[in-house]
Amino acid sequence: MTALAVRRTLQAVVVLLGVSVVTFALVHLVPGDPVRLALGTRFDQATYDALRERAGLDQPLVVQYLQWIGRAVTGDLGVSFRSGDPVTALILERLPATLSLALASILVALLIAVPLGTASALRPRSFVDGAATVLSQIGISVPEFWMGIMLILLFAGTLGWFPSSGYVPFTEDPALWLRSLVLPAVTTGLVSGSVLTRFTRSSVLEALGAEHVRTARAKGLPPRAVLDWHVLRNALLPLVTVTGVQLAYLLSGVVVVEIVFAWPGLGQLALQAVEARDYPVLQGAVLLFAFVFLLLNLVVDLLYSRLDPRISA
Amino acid sequence: MRRRTVLTSLAASSIAVAGCSTGEGVDTGGAGETGGGGGGDAAAFVAAISAQPDQLDPHKTTAYASFQVLENVYDTLVVPSADDLSMQPSLATGWTTSDDQLTWTFTLREGVVFHDGSPFTAEDVVFSYRRIIDQQLANSARFASVADVVAQDPTRVVLTLSAPTPNLLSNIGGFKGMAILPRSVDEASLTTKAVGTGPFRLESSGAGEIALTRFEDHWGQAPSIDGVTFQFITEPAAALTALTGDQVQWTDNVPAQQVASLAGDDAVELGQVASVDYWYLAMNCAKAPFDSRDVRRAVAFALDREAITEAARFDTARVNQTAIPEGSEWHHDYAPFTTDVDQAKSLLAGAGVGGPLTMGLMVTSEYPETVTAAQVIASQLEPLGITVDIQTEDFATWLDRQGRGDFDAFMLGWLGNIDPADFYNEQHRTDGPNNYQKYSNPVTDDLLDRAGVEGDRATRKSLYDQAAQQIVDDVSYLYLYNPDAIQAWKPGITGYETRADKAVDFETVTLPS
Repeated sequence: MTALAVRRTLQAVVVLLGVSVVTFALVHLVPGDPVRLALGTRFDQATYDALRERAGLDQPLVVQYLQWIGRAVTGDLGVSFRSGDPVTALILERLPATLSLALASILVALLIAVPLGTASALRPRSFVDGAATVLSQIGISVPEFWMGIMLILLFAGTLGWFPSSGYVPFTEDPALWLRSLVLPAVTTGLVSGSVLTRFTRSSVLEALGAEHVRTARAKGLPPRAVLDWHVLRNALLPLVTVTGVQLAYLLSGVVVVEIVFAWPGLGQLALQAVEARDYPVLQGAVLLFAFVFLLLNLVVDLLYSRLDPRISA
Repeated sequence: MRRRTVLTSLAASSIAVAGCSTGEGVDTGGAGETGGGGGGDAAAFVAAISAQPDQLDPHKTTAYASFQVLENVYDTLVVPSADDLSMQPSLATGWTTSDDQLTWTFTLREGVVFHDGSPFTAEDVVFSYRRIIDQQLANSARFASVADVVAQDPTRVVLTLSAPTPNLLSNIGGFKGMAILPRSVDEASLTTKAVGTGPFRLESSGAGEIALTRFEDHWGQAPSIDGVTFQFITEPAAALTALTGDQVQWTDNVPAQQVASLAGDDAVELGQVASVDYWYLAMNCAKAPFDSRDVRRAVAFALDREAITEAARFDTARVNQTAIPEGSEWHHDYAPFTTDVDQAKSLLAGAGVGGPLTMGLMVTSEYPETVTAAQVIASQLEPLGITVDIQTEDFATWLDRQGRGDFDAFMLGWLGNIDPADFYNEQHRTDGPNNYQKYSNPVTDDLLDRAGVEGDRATRKSLYDQAAQQIVDDVSYLYLYNPDAIQAWKPGITGYETRADKAVDFETVTLPS
């Protein structure tokens, strides 16, 4: 277990370094000049030159990269061109909103996927199975922004049950935090839940057909025990992987849903950074997303070896 | 001079105000106490703006969203009036100009304090202006003719100019980018903190909202509302639902196509005013065949501006063949082009353009109306044998290409213009910093140069009228329309006014009783 963790951590560091080089190169290759954007449409050469120099953009790219990565390893991701704030502060400021939404969404997704996917796998081609297939197809196909707007119009507009948008920190008002979380979490949860439902179904189906399940049944174990001990435990394994990937995706910000619900998360920050060609923020955000992906993959792998004793270092 | 009673400071944006709010960031319940029509018990109100301010340093930001907030926090020496945008006293109560127009002496208001309690003096004006000039911040070009700024005594500031500058007042007061900061301010903190003299002080700023509270020691009357919370709601459907649901009391996130239906809605009050913004098409005067004046004029004759305006803005814009809107004292009624395809064809033939022609038209998704308008323009130029290749770019790439001159034509707008110099100088002088279309006519240059230093208002207007005519005739810009400023708020809110310069000023707002 420890050896696995050490090996995986070393791999992650190498991958992160690679990501930093690629990100830096890509970000600077994209057309568009952050200084021009910062000046707005009214352009003045002297102001432009002054800003450019202040941002260090007059230095050669290699120098800029080395300076950036050198500071990054000490935890200093630089200062946003757009706002003048430290990148780490900008990211930390948005972390609670993103964490709230990602965890709530994955909860919604699992609450949908596990019962629905299991039910439809237990009775293939039944009505439940058909309905689950159609619903998850819809969930995957419907654009998130449309779903979000419909939920707003219905549950915030007509019914008035939830706020139409905005985020309230948990520390400020837990009840309001929860209420403001419902609609965005349901929107993203429905999509992730649809993906996971299909996955759960095929995974449970596969486990049901396994020989040890047949044996367990032949032994005369009650169906419930077979399901809990022999089917779900095995079906859970692949689900953990997919859930980990979904969670990583949600943690790197769900741009569309964040925009629709005015949710101040990391996705919005990254989008603003792209639009403004705010290199430091963009680089910092991508590096963080890569880190989150690697971390969750690591956690999933370690969890795997716990869930399945056959896999171990 | 007397203080204006309504809409005092805040040149850059306008705002609204609204009914009962809980003072919480988000609550659909609308259960908050209703303010007693002003006075101290009124709750704060929530304004939904369409974008998050990039930063709050007034001298560094160029984002409209930032100025919507800063309008309520900072003051300038002078401000544009709500009705005709003429420059009125604010932190300066009066000013005198020397005979040669090179020395301006401003008398400052006494008894003004900053939000941190420090007194406002002439030294603060010198510090603020020197900061913009010496650090070459975003608006330093507005001080191009300012040779020196000196505090004569605590209540008098003298600006020495290198050339007469009749638009000096709109340069230093047109918007809050020229705000006065205390000289003791910690400059690095200004991106997220604010120390101004305005009616509201900045309480907190974050990724989700910005909160302002009433400044009791404001030099004018303190506002009747407790404060303003700005929320950033990009999606119009969410903003309008929040407004009708009492979650916010004011928004400027009102799409043009919704205006007609909202106008009949009792749950919403609509503010709609012709703005000083204008949208235009520019063709590349340095690139064949658009370097030919006749080709550009052919395009001008082929277009139906009414149809373009209708498609881009529904009924919320006014067609204009010049830049300055009707209603401004600088407006010049001049509309030489009528839609005339035959005339256009003969101009093209005369210019020696025989065969079919392709015109790349660069537009940007940042301003969706340019994308819509481009489609109409394309269909209108078809009969002329001009194929329009619509190139939709993100704004960063768009600006890049514009700066490099890498375009046949583009469409964009200029926002927040007040003085005619704002409308014409940078865009149409041969060496103008924003003359991307590379227009050059010595006659226009001469007229603009003379107008730029002309002290007599009537003569100055006449010079700008002539320059405008030349610009329109040469089709340096093909002007299309002036859009309306559109805002919506809860019924019952008073003391708020939608302004032509889109400055959002909540100082005099009162909630319904």
